[in-house]
Amino acid sequence: MASIQLSGLTKFYGKRRGVEDVSLEVGDQEFLTVFGPAGAGKTTTLNLIAGIVTPDRGSIRIGQKTVDALEPADRNVAMVFESYALYPQFTVYQNMAFPLRSPKHRLPATEVEQRVRHFATMLKIDHLLDRQIQALSNGQRQRTALGRALVRRPDVFLMDEPLSHLDAKLRHSMRAELKEMRSQLGTTTIYVTHDYLEAMSLGDRVAIINQGRILQVGTPEEVYFRPATVEVAQLFGDPEINLIEAKIRNRQSTSVRVQALGEEWSFPITPEIGSALDKLTGDNVRLGFRPADVTVGANGNSSLHGVVYSFEPLGTKSVLTIESVAGQRVRALVDGHRTFQVDRRIEFSVASSSLIFFDPESTRYLIRSIRTEGDD
Amino acid sequence: MTHSRSPLAKIGKGLQILLLLAYAVFALFPLLWMFIMSIKPDSQMLTTTFIFTPTLENYATVLHSDYMQFFLNNLIVSVAAVLLSLVVGVPAAYALARFQFKGKEDIAFTILSFRFAPEILVILPLYLIYQRLGLYDTYFGLIWVYQLITLPLLIWILRGFFEDISPDIEAAAQLDGYSWWQVFLRVLLPLVKPGLVAAGLLCFIFAWNSFTFPLLLSNNVQTSTVIALRYLASDTVHYGQVAAAAAISALPEVILALLIQKHLVRGLSFGAVKG
Repeated sequence: MASIQLSGLTKFYGKRRGVEDVSLEVGDQEFLTVFGPAGAGKTTTLNLIAGIVTPDRGSIRIGQKTVDALEPADRNVAMVFESYALYPQFTVYQNMAFPLRSPKHRLPATEVEQRVRHFATMLKIDHLLDRQIQALSNGQRQRTALGRALVRRPDVFLMDEPLSHLDAKLRHSMRAELKEMRSQLGTTTIYVTHDYLEAMSLGDRVAIINQGRILQVGTPEEVYFRPATVEVAQLFGDPEINLIEAKIRNRQSTSVRVQALGEEWSFPITPEIGSALDKLTGDNVRLGFRPADVTVGANGNSSLHGVVYSFEPLGTKSVLTIESVAGQRVRALVDGHRTFQVDRRIEFSVASSSLIFFDPESTRYLIRSIRTEGDD
Repeated sequence: MTHSRSPLAKIGKGLQILLLLAYAVFALFPLLWMFIMSIKPDSQMLTTTFIFTPTLENYATVLHSDYMQFFLNNLIVSVAAVLLSLVVGVPAAYALARFQFKGKEDIAFTILSFRFAPEILVILPLYLIYQRLGLYDTYFGLIWVYQLITLPLLIWILRGFFEDISPDIEAAAQLDGYSWWQVFLRVLLPLVKPGLVAAGLLCFIFAWNSFTFPLLLSNNVQTSTVIALRYLASDTVHYGQVAAAAAISALPEVILALLIQKHLVRGLSFGAVKG
């Protein structure tokens, strides 16, 4: 059990940036998910903490100890690799027992046996203990890799996209199991993923990383509802958030009239939004709204017009892409039982209570239109 | 393949077996011929093919001469050359597979290029150097020069094996509480074992069969490959004795290959360690 503190971690691979100036604090027993697209520096961050990669600059503390000069074996960190990194010449049992037979963590044989069986049962692989790794399915390998990390009772767990190679259904159920497991274990965990649902559902907090830099750290709600920058908003959420440029035509104390998507429309605002808009230098603002906040159908004078560009049914929901009058496309999430013909003219509207305002110059978050829970 | 085979597929399969059989005969025939010659008396050597009075005379002559001393010499230098290659080559192969450093590919290619040069091309300067350094006619001199034959082979085969092991596995073992050396011995070496065995055996065969180097760089410390020449006397050629000597010489290779057949097949079909 320990907290983790990263300060100013920088690592370049030749000219390519791995991570740059990453500072992060993870509390004792906290579960932090690190979210970012491929090549963002997520794995590098984990490798730095584990000591597999040495930083160019910066320092790492685990608990009360600075571990910069320690070998991976001495950091008391357990890691689950994306590739699982199981020892192919061993059985499941030997893989799980391997850490407990090492000079660093050696335990008496009876206790090794007991611990391996305990965690194997917990992971539901107790019937596979004598199997060779080659004879396992991906899901079973993943569990074995998890088991090998769990038996150690380390200070810190590092998990590198452990679910990414599983099929969708298994991934979903493993996510639920992991969530259950984390409450039982209570070990400080850093969990890397490129799946925003995993990041949201598992993490106490989420760190968003891209191109080697941390963009935002916050609770899942904060990151989703109040993204620090346009980039975060784009990365987080699927289908991607809609971002449109709006020109403010006329602003009153309770409403604002904008020119956007090729049409003029208005929506109500609060005094807080008013004062936030005052800070803008020009009269442009960038509006973000999630596809789920787009309503298809006539809606009085706030209706916008467009044609159906594409329609993807996904079961309970469908993704509808609408080409607006101005030619810009807007994604909408609609009920699964509605169908739309491509090229059909439709009207749609944006829920005025779900708008996120960004500064078009700095692309930073300004304010959002309703106060969400946990908002201050 | 649960569906019933068509007649055409059956014929194809039969043809395949026939071809493989033909190849096996083709490949084994020299061995058989050598064995037949070795049990023929000299008088019948050129007059008969398969009908003769078998004799062990040739073997007796060879075994009673000092041939076995040279056989032992060959064993000493070949085994030592392979061991030295392992000690030097395994770390080199690991480094070439794992680390990024300047001129890496050039170094790897240079090592391989030792195999390109015909031995006869480099033998003269080597001879002069060996004379000066006092390495001429010594065990160590032969063992050293054999590295030209064994080391490139070993490094290039093992490099592929090390490259096949994910660096994650090494990192995982280190995180599991093992030092680098323990990781190397307990995790990596078992994984490259098939390659180690295959490369080791091939190196041994090449070293064992080496002819030019011992012929010109040694005199008293001589190997069986060169000594077999003396049965080609000026007056007559004792084909039977040559064949017997060759048959005895081939034994270690045959025995070794049979013993480690299983590893050999796995080792030569690369990528055997992929999980």
